[in-house]
Amino acid sequence: MLFNTVAFLIFLLVVLALFYLSPRSWRKYILLAASYYFYMSWNPKFIPLLLTLTAIDYTAAIWIQRSESRHRKKLFLVIALAGNLGFLGFFKYYNFLGDNFALLLGRPAHSFALAIILPLGISFHTFQSMSYIIDVYRDEQKPIRNPFDYALFIAFFPQLVAGPIVRAREFFADFYAWRPPFSDEQLHGVGLFVLGLTKKMAFADQLAQIADAYFSNLAVHPGAISAWKGVGAFALQIFFDFSGYSDMAIGMALLLGFHFPINFRRPYLAFSITDFWHRWHISLSRWLRDYLYIPLGGNRHGTLMTYRNLMLTMLLGGLWHGASWNFAIWGGYHGALLAIERMAGRKMFETRPPLWLYPLRAALTVGLVCVGWVFFRAANFAQSRYIIGQLFSFAHSPNPIVIPQWLIWLVFGSLIVAIAKEKWNLASAPAWAYVPALAGLLLVIELFGVTDKQIPFIYFQF
Amino acid sequence: MSAVRTLLATVVAFVAVEQLLFNTGLYAKIVNPDSTTGFLELRLWNEHKRPVHDRNQVLAIGDSRMGFFPRYADQIKSEVGYTFASIATAGTTPRCWYYMLRDADPSARRYAAILIPVYDYDDEETAENIADRETDMHFLVARLQWSDLIAFSQSYDSPSLKLRAAIGVAFKGSIYKLDLQDLLTHRRQRLEYADLSRRESFNWYYDYVGTRDNVAGVKIDWAKKTFELPSRLAGEKEIFQAVLFPYTPATTRQERYLKTWFGKICEHYRGSGTKLIFFRLPRGAYVRPNPPRYNPHSSVRELARQPDVILDGEHYFDFLEKPELFLDPVHLNAPGCAEFSRALARRVRELLGPPHAL
Repeated sequence: MLFNTVAFLIFLLVVLALFYLSPRSWRKYILLAASYYFYMSWNPKFIPLLLTLTAIDYTAAIWIQRSESRHRKKLFLVIALAGNLGFLGFFKYYNFLGDNFALLLGRPAHSFALAIILPLGISFHTFQSMSYIIDVYRDEQKPIRNPFDYALFIAFFPQLVAGPIVRAREFFADFYAWRPPFSDEQLHGVGLFVLGLTKKMAFADQLAQIADAYFSNLAVHPGAISAWKGVGAFALQIFFDFSGYSDMAIGMALLLGFHFPINFRRPYLAFSITDFWHRWHISLSRWLRDYLYIPLGGNRHGTLMTYRNLMLTMLLGGLWHGASWNFAIWGGYHGALLAIERMAGRKMFETRPPLWLYPLRAALTVGLVCVGWVFFRAANFAQSRYIIGQLFSFAHSPNPIVIPQWLIWLVFGSLIVAIAKEKWNLASAPAWAYVPALAGLLLVIELFGVTDKQIPFIYFQF
Repeated sequence: MSAVRTLLATVVAFVAVEQLLFNTGLYAKIVNPDSTTGFLELRLWNEHKRPVHDRNQVLAIGDSRMGFFPRYADQIKSEVGYTFASIATAGTTPRCWYYMLRDADPSARRYAAILIPVYDYDDEETAENIADRETDMHFLVARLQWSDLIAFSQSYDSPSLKLRAAIGVAFKGSIYKLDLQDLLTHRRQRLEYADLSRRESFNWYYDYVGTRDNVAGVKIDWAKKTFELPSRLAGEKEIFQAVLFPYTPATTRQERYLKTWFGKICEHYRGSGTKLIFFRLPRGAYVRPNPPRYNPHSSVRELARQPDVILDGEHYFDFLEKPELFLDPVHLNAPGCAEFSRALARRVRELLGPPHAL
């Protein structure tokens, strides 16, 4: 059940109606049942997996708290993490590791391959569970006593599939002190949902067709112009797709009385790669910082160790996205860029440049990010190498990719809005301002939204 | 302002802007003349602006197989006495014809007769479920009104198409969107072309004579279901295969469909004095030896019992079923259209009698 389908819209309306019309004590059970229904509508076979992971972390957290000795606490933490990473490793990385092992042994690539289906949202809910169990181990979070409460934290349908990765204390702060959303929050929730839908249907899905036309027919569109158009289309597609999903998730949560942190903050206006990672997939960046980079030592053990930690964090962050060397290279590429920026001086890359320099710096950052997206989107390393070669070639484009003029105007319009949001907080606009804004978005969905085919969210595959 | 009131105001604002843009007839004037919508709009526009001085007007409707060109009928006007016009549009279906006639003749008093072609008198099944033809929405989008929402959307069989049609009738932008995107890309050319088409297309259609290509020389073994094409038709293999040996599912869905839409046309003209003439088109260049099973309750046979509905002799146009008169297995070529147009005009005179005096 994709967010941008009529079936999901009906599901959401039914859940909201049931939620608000039922007695307060029933509401969490309604949300839990709805979340499991949502999960099973994709593939009911995997519900035991979700339940098992939930049970492991729920139990381990209680045992960690009950244990007196640090040693026993650590043992339960390791068991829980091993369980989480074991499932994630098997479903996500078994074939990758198997293929590479086979190559090492000189055997055909798929000698050890299994027909494994990746369970929906496993990367996201595993990270969410891990953050909970680590926080309990660190005494930063009390274990949740009620298994239904914990199960809802893991399975909450707005963010089950692709985040944002929410921390237990954020979720339960709203959960235990639940109140119905205020009028402005309701409006903001609907606004975010419609904005996300617009980003997905009118922007991401339109751009997907251009990106697909390029990446699936590289030989047909040689030359630098086509390469930049194709890669640029993908860069915009992945932003609109993922931030659209996040907006919808945050909006839905808000309508249900939960306040999730933002996941994107206009990343293509970043003035450096460091700034980009403060704006892109913020909940993952935050997770990687708190549960990987800082435990690895962060920047506390000298310059070289800092670079190593940055590289390791980004490499693993890359691999988190998918089991392929291309994702590892993508992560490594960003790790290297972050290390270079740190080497060149933190102040330069963490403080806003003067206005006259800003556009140049932003353009350079977008260019560097686009090069990285090649590894993310290309089917394999050979294809990535070819595209990078095309990006920096002076080859003529005899058959350039065509981007419709109206789409360019639409993207340009969104850039203007992004710049305005960078300067003013549009979310605190008066209620009447929502009327033209939302009506305009509905018109954009109607006139430019892709409705003749269903293009899944990119991050659903992770 | 409370959230609910703001959201209601949003919906009202959206609907108002949407209706203003797409439901006032504004957009239909600049729709791409070569699109399905544009094609149908031009046909109706030309028919609306054609000067009509009396009620001795005969209007032909139909799809691409309706090879009736008014120019040939006009050549024998002194003989037949009636003035002929056509709004037949390739790709349209009886569902479209009903809405086209409703708009071409809202008072049902403009024409002496309407010529309605059918492929057979037995409502033979087709492989395609014609009730689920999505292009009908695109042909008719400018013609449909809010009052058509239920009848039109429910006429589709598939639930997803019912929903799509309902959304399309209510919010026409959802149907026009590809056209609008094209307009935004080629603004000036589009506006110029739309204007030119409105000024000139009457003559384009009127002067069109068709192509002289024909399908003579095809050898068919009906028993073995095989055929041999002359080299010039080598590329037409799939069309011949589909038309000569069609798959016909055994249901009554075609009969139900035709009864619905021909029934609505009859209802529109009931008591108006306009004759509805149903006739069988020349079946094709090569006629299958196994005709459809006789259906005494077929749409046209049942409707023929109503006053002012004429069902012409089934075999009247059989004499045109010659490969030399067809450009493919079922479409008449230029000589075929010329002969058919004249024959149909003469037949109308026979069926209607002499025209009324002014």
